Amino acid sequence: MFLGISAYFHDSSVALIDSNGDLIDFKKEEYLSRVKGDKSFPRLALTEIIKNHNLSDKNINKICFYEKPLKAWLTILKYSIKNNSLSNELTRNYFKNIWKSSVIFSYDLSKHLKISNDKILYCDHHLSHTLSGAYYNSKLPAVSIVIDGFGDESTSSIHHLTSLQEIKHKWSSPFPNSVGLFYSAITDFLGFSVNEGEYKVMGLAAYGEPIFYQSLSKTIYFKDGKLHLDDNYYDFMRSITRSYSSKLSSLFNINERQSNTPLDLESPDFKAYANIAASAQKIVEEILKEIFLFANKITGENRFIFSGGVAMNSVAINKLSKLDFISKLIVSPSPGDSGAAIGAAYYGFLQFNKNYFEPLKADIPSMLTPGHTSLTDHNEDFFLINYEKIANEDEIIDVASDLIIQNEIIATCYKNIETGPRALGHRSMICNAHSVIAVKQLNEQIKKRSKFRPVAPAILERNAKKYFLLSDKIYDSYFYMGAVVEVVNSKSIEAVVHNDNTSRIQLCREDNILGKILKKLELNNIFVLANTSFNISSDPMVYSKEDAYLGIERMNIKYLLTENGIYTKKLIKS
Amino acid sequence: MIITPHNNSNLYKTLVEFGYAEYGSALEMLAASKKAQSAKMKLRYRNHALDEYRHSALIFQVLNNELKKNKSFFEKEFKFTPQNVVSKGYVDKNGFLIEKLSLKKFVEFVYSSEFLAKQSFEVLIKRIKNSESLEILNEIAQDEEKHAHGALEQHADFSTSKLNEIMNEEDRHWGFAKIFYNKKFPDSNLNFAFKKEKIKNKMRLFYFKNLIFLNKIFNPIINFFIRIFGYIAMLLKPTSNDDKDLMKMNSTSIL
Repeated sequence: MFLGISAYFHDSSVALIDSNGDLIDFKKEEYLSRVKGDKSFPRLALTEIIKNHNLSDKNINKICFYEKPLKAWLTILKYSIKNNSLSNELTRNYFKNIWKSSVIFSYDLSKHLKISNDKILYCDHHLSHTLSGAYYNSKLPAVSIVIDGFGDESTSSIHHLTSLQEIKHKWSSPFPNSVGLFYSAITDFLGFSVNEGEYKVMGLAAYGEPIFYQSLSKTIYFKDGKLHLDDNYYDFMRSITRSYSSKLSSLFNINERQSNTPLDLESPDFKAYANIAASAQKIVEEILKEIFLFANKITGENRFIFSGGVAMNSVAINKLSKLDFISKLIVSPSPGDSGAAIGAAYYGFLQFNKNYFEPLKADIPSMLTPGHTSLTDHNEDFFLINYEKIANEDEIIDVASDLIIQNEIIATCYKNIETGPRALGHRSMICNAHSVIAVKQLNEQIKKRSKFRPVAPAILERNAKKYFLLSDKIYDSYFYMGAVVEVVNSKSIEAVVHNDNTSRIQLCREDNILGKILKKLELNNIFVLANTSFNISSDPMVYSKEDAYLGIERMNIKYLLTENGIYTKKLIKS
Repeated sequence: MIITPHNNSNLYKTLVEFGYAEYGSALEMLAASKKAQSAKMKLRYRNHALDEYRHSALIFQVLNNELKKNKSFFEKEFKFTPQNVVSKGYVDKNGFLIEKLSLKKFVEFVYSSEFLAKQSFEVLIKRIKNSESLEILNEIAQDEEKHAHGALEQHADFSTSKLNEIMNEEDRHWGFAKIFYNKKFPDSNLNFAFKKEKIKNKMRLFYFKNLIFLNKIFNPIINFFIRIFGYIAMLLKPTSNDDKDLMKMNSTSIL
């Protein structure tokens, strides 16, 4: 067994790969701690995986951490000492918080798992990302592009994969020249939370014009094989509280948005902020094109693996897929730091099995929801105090379809949770996408999202081409990551079409839960479901049945679908 | 855990702390609900968690209202960031209380902290100076007598006022804890546990109030260490990845 762990920086997680190389479990710490984006050592996730799979020193072959802890800590510290000062707040913060950083990984691990030291490995941060993408890739050679905020010593990397045992580092960009941190600074400027609100910027961009593109492109650009960032406009390299400088405000000629004021289509400054988002989005897309082209030039490869936080920018991925020199673009279901735990576990597997050179024939659908479904998780007695069961296990599809036809909204907590940030039906809230009213109720009243945020459609694979323009180059992504596609027929599905005539599509096979419901709904001319994640914005995705129970109460949802049946709140007789 | 606002400049910060404390309490109650064996106890803890989640959201809403009324700038530290519930210590990253404490100690803690929260809350609402708040204060004053007894039945009729609603529920929570404790541990003294928690709370308050003074003492020491270790750090040279086969690099090195 091979464990991979990511922690201390973004969403902590644990991945487990068995001796065949199959991903058999994956848990984010936030699922169990219920703290969104929890970056603490994943003690709850690790404990649960150890318990569910009876892990011990005897059956664990390797346990791998997703970065080189001291290298990551030293890089920023040395930069800050050199460019700021010893009394600078970033320098001081790095020193004072060493005990909260990954440097203490082995100490934290020892509190939860007794394991021989020679079984503990450390994988380069960007290599963990590369391997998390390579895990879902079926063919080599390929080139891997990693672009995130920062990892170990670089902010972007190009790796050349000739075999799984030969991965050459070809290029990297040092801190602070970072596309990820640039996008986060814009996110911060627009009043959204860093590391969480980036996808809001992406959605907002569709409503603006890139009028600041020229001026913004002078602050960050890729030239002669180097990524340049003008630190006069950004503060993340010297401050722990502010990621942009006043010079950036002057460039936009508008103050940063105060995050306590709602930003909606009717807001007076909506267009101005949308223009900033559109400009930043264009910068990212153009820089990515340049880096991908550069990677193609230095490696000669046209099969690309893309990972790191920036690989979650699905609008940019759609644009990249249109480039001629790219024949295939592989993005894993969880390309960010939490998914890097899968890469770390894979690294442990490959270090132990030096005879594996070719990609494993990974069964991707089964690996989208790995884990251990515990029957004891569901305490039905507790649930039935306030709820009644309206469908048994074998009636789920029929009853769910009937409810969708009646434009009802259903929350799902079905078997294991998905690996990536996108809810694929196991932890979703779904409704009829052909009904503008139902989608509006789901998006604005239940989920309380801003109107400028798109709602994603889910559709059976065989019906997708009737509505959407699909690309073979990123075809796999449509099944698990909400890839962006142009809409060719928006008639009757306007509610799930974004302002720029695109959708964040999810293709469904007939054997998964949403696929089964969609198959049944076809008989009633419903071909598309609106699907959004089952959580309140400040909370992580619902994980256990008890979280689901709490979730439907807090969000006032009428129906909950689980693998045991469908439940609804009891009517209280007056 | 709560800093009571003795002057108006502390008000916003206090609301923020209060909001996080309520959120932390929600997580603790949810963890307790998951751990409880009987359906009845699960439901009780779950309902408590539901209340605390709502309180947290309402307190941040009150903060927003106050900021808008006073035309104050929305500082980043006022924004609710879930991870702060851990970094601020409202939830211990090493374990939920229900995992770390015996049932007896857990109930003692819930009772004490709920009661202290109620007391802090009474101070807090007196610091909010606007007409809406005065209305709330009047309503609360009318309810004071009822609250003092902490009886459950008296709180069926919740006020429409948000703050008053929270106040009622806090009463209900410590009331629950007290009833449960007295039934389960009739020979123990809940007052002693409460006083112990109160002293701890006072010490925390003393620490926060003297943070600036303490920083004056400790900052030069920290600066000294930064200077020494900063120079050592500059001498450490991590291995470069340039043109290397990453699969062949030292996999046990942390540098």
